[in-house]
Amino acid sequence: MAEETVITPDLGFVRSLKGAGAETLKKCYQCATCSVVCPISPDDRPFPRKEMVMAQWGMKEELAADPDVWLCHNCNDCSKYCPRGARPGDVLSVMRQKAIEENAIPGFMGKIVRNPVTALLIPVILFIAVLGSTGHLRIPDGQIVYSKFFPIHYIEYIFIAAVALSGVAYLASLSRFWNTMGRNGAATQKGFVPALIETLTELITHRRFAKCEANADRKNGHLLVFFAFIGLAVTTVWITVYYYLPEPYRKLSPISLSDPMKWLANVSALALIIGVLILVVNRMKDKGIDSVSSSFDWTFLTMIVLLAVTGILTELIRLAGIATIAYPMYFIHLTFVFYTIVYFPYSKLAHMGYRTLAITYAKMAGRDVEL
Amino acid sequence: MSEAKLGVYICTDCGIGEALNVEELGNAAKARGAAVVKTHPFLCSQEGVQVIRDDINNEGVNKIVIAACSQRVNTDVFDFDPLKYVTERVNIREHVVWCQPPNTEETQTMAEDYVRLGVIRALRSECPEPKITDINRDILVVGGGVTGITAAIEASRAGSRVVLVEKEAELGGWARKMYRVTPTKPPFAELEKPSIDAKIEEVKNDANITVKTNTTIASIEGEPGMYRATLNVNGSEETVEIGAIILATGWKPYEASRLDHLGYGKFKNVVTNVEMEEIASKGKITRPSDGKEAKSVVFIQCAGQRDENHVPYCSTVCCNVSLKQAMYVRESNPDAGAYIIYKDMRTPGLYENFYKAAQDDEGIFLAKGEVLGIEETGDGSIMVEVDNQLLGKKVKIRADLVVLATGMLTSLLPEDFPVNDLTPEYVGNIVKKETQDGVIEEIEAVPTTLHLKYRQGPEMPHLKYGFPDSHFICFPYETRRTGIYAAGAVRHPMDAVQSAADAAGAVLKAIQCLELTSQGKAVHPRSGDQTFPEFRLESCTQCRRCTVECPFGVLDEDEKGTPKEHPYRCRRCGTCMGACPQRIINFKNYSIDMISSMIKTVEVPDESEEPFIVALICENDAYPALDMAGQNGIQYSPNYRFITLRCLGGTNLVWIADALSKGIDGVLLIGCKYGDDYQCHFVKGSQMASERLGKVQETLDRLMLESDRVQQVQLAINEWDKLPQILNDFSDELKELGPNPYKGF
Repeated sequence: MAEETVITPDLGFVRSLKGAGAETLKKCYQCATCSVVCPISPDDRPFPRKEMVMAQWGMKEELAADPDVWLCHNCNDCSKYCPRGARPGDVLSVMRQKAIEENAIPGFMGKIVRNPVTALLIPVILFIAVLGSTGHLRIPDGQIVYSKFFPIHYIEYIFIAAVALSGVAYLASLSRFWNTMGRNGAATQKGFVPALIETLTELITHRRFAKCEANADRKNGHLLVFFAFIGLAVTTVWITVYYYLPEPYRKLSPISLSDPMKWLANVSALALIIGVLILVVNRMKDKGIDSVSSSFDWTFLTMIVLLAVTGILTELIRLAGIATIAYPMYFIHLTFVFYTIVYFPYSKLAHMGYRTLAITYAKMAGRDVEL
Repeated sequence: MSEAKLGVYICTDCGIGEALNVEELGNAAKARGAAVVKTHPFLCSQEGVQVIRDDINNEGVNKIVIAACSQRVNTDVFDFDPLKYVTERVNIREHVVWCQPPNTEETQTMAEDYVRLGVIRALRSECPEPKITDINRDILVVGGGVTGITAAIEASRAGSRVVLVEKEAELGGWARKMYRVTPTKPPFAELEKPSIDAKIEEVKNDANITVKTNTTIASIEGEPGMYRATLNVNGSEETVEIGAIILATGWKPYEASRLDHLGYGKFKNVVTNVEMEEIASKGKITRPSDGKEAKSVVFIQCAGQRDENHVPYCSTVCCNVSLKQAMYVRESNPDAGAYIIYKDMRTPGLYENFYKAAQDDEGIFLAKGEVLGIEETGDGSIMVEVDNQLLGKKVKIRADLVVLATGMLTSLLPEDFPVNDLTPEYVGNIVKKETQDGVIEEIEAVPTTLHLKYRQGPEMPHLKYGFPDSHFICFPYETRRTGIYAAGAVRHPMDAVQSAADAAGAVLKAIQCLELTSQGKAVHPRSGDQTFPEFRLESCTQCRRCTVECPFGVLDEDEKGTPKEHPYRCRRCGTCMGACPQRIINFKNYSIDMISSMIKTVEVPDESEEPFIVALICENDAYPALDMAGQNGIQYSPNYRFITLRCLGGTNLVWIADALSKGIDGVLLIGCKYGDDYQCHFVKGSQMASERLGKVQETLDRLMLESDRVQQVQLAINEWDKLPQILNDFSDELKELGPNPYKGF
């Protein structure tokens, strides 16, 4: 069985949860209405009631290691039915943010990401330094080719190094999460590989998300964003492959609009912007409950919107041939790309790994509800 | 009373006229001695009542039988001076035409039988002679805590003089020992300073109230309106004459020393909630072991409560007390945490708001859980191991201080008597006594507070856990000692606000009792009854059944064991009448002979497929239940005749003999529930009836008459829908036994 936890009052953590948007958490009086109405909560030790107690008691380590906060897909049925307005759904969403922060390696990165200005200043300063020191900090003449402004090797050095670092950090964070999660008890119902395969299948189809009937729109938005990111990731790799192919197969940016890679890239960009807009509209529309999205969520959504918009603009302005705007736009776009990729382990995007592991663990532990 | 002249008045409204042959009803009445028989289409109208009044005034009618609706309705309409006229109500509406098919032979026979029974009842009734004497209307309030003080103030405001006695040197009781109290006004979120001092001042300045501190009670004798209390004031005896008594001695905490499994007595930093008030009154919340500030405090709710091994009940206030004390912790240090481990949070009524306020505090941690163990660590901190049912896991909480929410016991409980294992009815020791019949075991009650000179014992009878027995829901302040009213935590665990409300209620009851006593009338539930039991003592065999069975301790005994009556203690239930094997106890309008005569009047069909049954029913619950069955048009067997008793406690076994020897196939007693959750208005009546029935059944067995022919059922007032089933079941059982062999003798 799980080892015992020794509790001492940690009011600081309670305050930090409240500060991050979970100010209603103390209202919970543990009636378990939330756990009852939740369509995806297991019968045994159901969430979110137990998570509400953890939050009220300021049990930081417990929350960081709790797989159940990740089983929640934030349909907010619990908040709708909560007789005391404790909004468990919103509290859980803050808890996920805190869990990402608590599990983050190195820890200070989690805190940097919380402040979007600092987080964006880092790549801006870095890019200016690189471009300035190599004499590229000016608008190139002639046909708009972005590599004239920001040579492709620089991008590769910067981003490959950054992705490697953040990738390692992400893996370390996830493995810490996996290990602490394991303290909740041995998961022996199912092997890791079959559980993971099942989880990934669910992820691709968004079946679990669909269980949250309350927000079918959100599921569609999320699905679009999900596949858009996959598409964009594929095209990013693809274009690099084009670059290193031997002649005559080698292709250099800008790639022709008729190229299949370009099709995929443009479709993905559109999917991303449509998906994110659906998510934003969904968050803003009145759902009959007083739901609150944390600043963490809004920051992230804003960044994704900006990433998509600047990306599309970068392409459109290039096609329009307005060099004075095109290059700065490209610069801005790169900044958001940096933000998205490098801060991946510490931003909302990190949920991808945490959620996958948590669901896999739940399946292994037999705590998974039948879908 | 002059010669009896009996008038029978039959109403034909409400379907009676259409369902019955009214003329035959009248003939049945005449055959039994009615001098006047009249029918009226609307008897409860002014004109209808005038018909009766005219006969009273002009014809000299002095016994009135009204064959119409239930005796529970139109009581204000058919209201003739009970000291001059006997009024008898025969219910041919709810109990006949509304529950039987119209115009059948059975229905007609049934109605005629009821009219005959009513005539007999009226003929055997006499008008009561009330006992009126000068009474003392002063009120003795025992206990000077919040309840007693409030009671004294309320009584004084109502115009009574009060003697307030308190065993301590100061008034105020527990209320003065509290650092803060739970909120009493909206928004019910903030703690308040105790307001008891203002009330104490009011009492001291009230000319109607005599305060006696350092005072205990040496003895109380007498009855409502004429009690004599001997007080021990600072060691010297004083006697006061009073009319009624408010028992407001409050509560005492459960002995925490019995809770060593929760570390009390073993670890210095485990305290009770009472001790926590003392700590808080001194300023910062600190640890007793080293005086360091307590930054983590665990409150263990239900410490020894709702626990069969300690205090089996919930004390109702501890949840609020712990929330309050958690606020002390938070007020003392804004970074301190207070954990409340509960079985269930119980903050009834507006205290819900208080609960919410406490819950909103970020440093108050609440969880449902079970304490598994308590250990002390090297530095004096306490590790509390909790199975946190909400988290679904075991956790350990490091605490500087652990507060046990120990429960409230009634102050009537003698020292060292375990509340979970008390002798029944009177708290005491079981002793063996030599008697003529050999060695018997008897309870020797332990006097603690009132030192009553009552044959039945020196303190209040209890039902459970030492709390004075009264009807918890229906008659909260009443006790089984008429004239003594219990208020506050002595009768049930409660907080100061509820105690104050209780005090006002109990004072009203006391004043009501004195008022009725002064008029020679009974208190609730036969409020206004002016009859008294009358004892033909020359035939008494000193068997003491009546003195033992009276639920209200009316009867003391002289040296020989002859009953000595205290009439104003009496509530007129007639339990003594039922108890007496010599049949020497009767009322003017309610007697053994009367019911016997009624049973003998019932016309038992000689030949019948269906068993014929007499049912004795309680007027408080069974009678209205039958009314409701009628109102709902529920049909049942026409072979039952219901005879109404004041209480089943009045059932005399001779009636059963009368019924069976007459050839009646069975006797059914329908009365209130008895036992721990009794509903009897006279507390013990239905239980006494069932005990007596146990004895008669032995006799029946010996007579080779099946004991199943006599049965008792318990019926609550709202169980009217079960009546047909109950009646049919009994009827079916009798059918299997076959007809009564005495039929036709």
